[in-house]
Amino acid sequence: MLASSSDISRLLDRVAGGDRQAFADLYEATAPKLYGIILRILRRRDETDEVVQDVYVKIWQRAGDFDPARASPITWMATIARNRALDEVRRARVATVSDDIALERAADPARSALGDLEAGEDRRRLEICLDALEGERGSLVRLAYLDGLSRQDLADRFGQPVGTIKTWLHRSLKQLRDCLTA
Amino acid sequence: MREREDIELTAAEYVLGTLTREERVAVEARRTREPALDAAIAVWERHLSPMLDDVAPVAPPPDLFPAIEAAIAGPAREGGGQDGARVGTRDGTVTDLARMRRRLGRWRAAAVGAAAIAACLAGVLVVREVILPPSRTFVAVFHDGDTQPRFLLSVDLESRELTIRPVTAEPVADKTYQLWIVGEGISPIPRSLGLLEDVSGTTRKRLDQVDPALLRNATFGISLEPPGGSPTGQPTGPALHGTLIPAED
Repeated sequence: MLASSSDISRLLDRVAGGDRQAFADLYEATAPKLYGIILRILRRRDETDEVVQDVYVKIWQRAGDFDPARASPITWMATIARNRALDEVRRARVATVSDDIALERAADPARSALGDLEAGEDRRRLEICLDALEGERGSLVRLAYLDGLSRQDLADRFGQPVGTIKTWLHRSLKQLRDCLTA
Repeated sequence: MREREDIELTAAEYVLGTLTREERVAVEARRTREPALDAAIAVWERHLSPMLDDVAPVAPPPDLFPAIEAAIAGPAREGGGQDGARVGTRDGTVTDLARMRRRLGRWRAAAVGAAAIAACLAGVLVVREVILPPSRTFVAVFHDGDTQPRFLLSVDLESRELTIRPVTAEPVADKTYQLWIVGEGISPIPRSLGLLEDVSGTTRKRLDQVDPALLRNATFGISLEPPGGSPTGQPTGPALHGTLIPAED
């Protein structure tokens, strides 16, 4: 099992050179996390399989673009995964939020060793800043980011017009930024 | 100041994921030529990514990795687009389709699917921004998720003439293709630019009333509609989208 972010950076470096064994190791170390991220947004295994496949093909092709000065390797990979999942969910569906995605799920105790790589100061700080948002707006932000809910989905869930949701989002994001950079 | 705030919010909402598909496409095109926006996106990625710790890992099915290995096998490492995806123009308005088709042939041969095509296009965007002089001719490539490009659109900003050429698009029985535009300062919702009556040939349109600067940043859509066009005034059928990238002079 991989232990650190720098291990993954090194693997990415080798993948950039076309090292298939490194790619297999990278997959083993990171796929459950990326699969989890994508499944949470798409909520369908068949679609998730396809998107995860695309994401790893992209990682294989673009490993050389990874810039450690810009993001941690996991953030870089997770960003590719989220973007691809969001493209998929925005393309194919019209607001299919069902009640089974509970707000409570936002606090999921299960963490991977990999997840913990990112833990620490940044995470505590973000938690504090999210919790400092008024009312349910911390949930609003989490549902958008983690579950991929659109403005319309959020409007339905919170029983508010889309315009209100947009205002809430903008205010919340500004407050978050101020809190995080304070 | 106002502009900085706009960039900041656009980046934040892009990373949060609450933009619509059209808005996302527009941001992805903009970030390749707006370093401030690109940098703001990177900052927000760092801000929000610690939330991902809350996502429980899920074991992928065991047959997934073999499928991925098969997808990357062969001569398909073609992420960079360095060898010149010259989606170019020769005489300023006519897009060089022969080159595009050759490239399509290579994409097919590579057979790595949509991800590779997307990566190639992304490569084109980046490479062009760096090495090419400013151009008044721009092209947009329309491709449908997991398939090859369907249409090419080129725009001459000076004359505001659009030229739409089919690449792999075929006529569909009892349907017609309709062209749309959406963009800041033009229209917040898709506005019809008319029908593409003859899919076997070139269609030209003129946009006299649109500011070239706005046109440059517009998103174009082509949707499949009933004969005579969308009955609602908005796209009703499956749609493809494209944003403009500079073409070769």
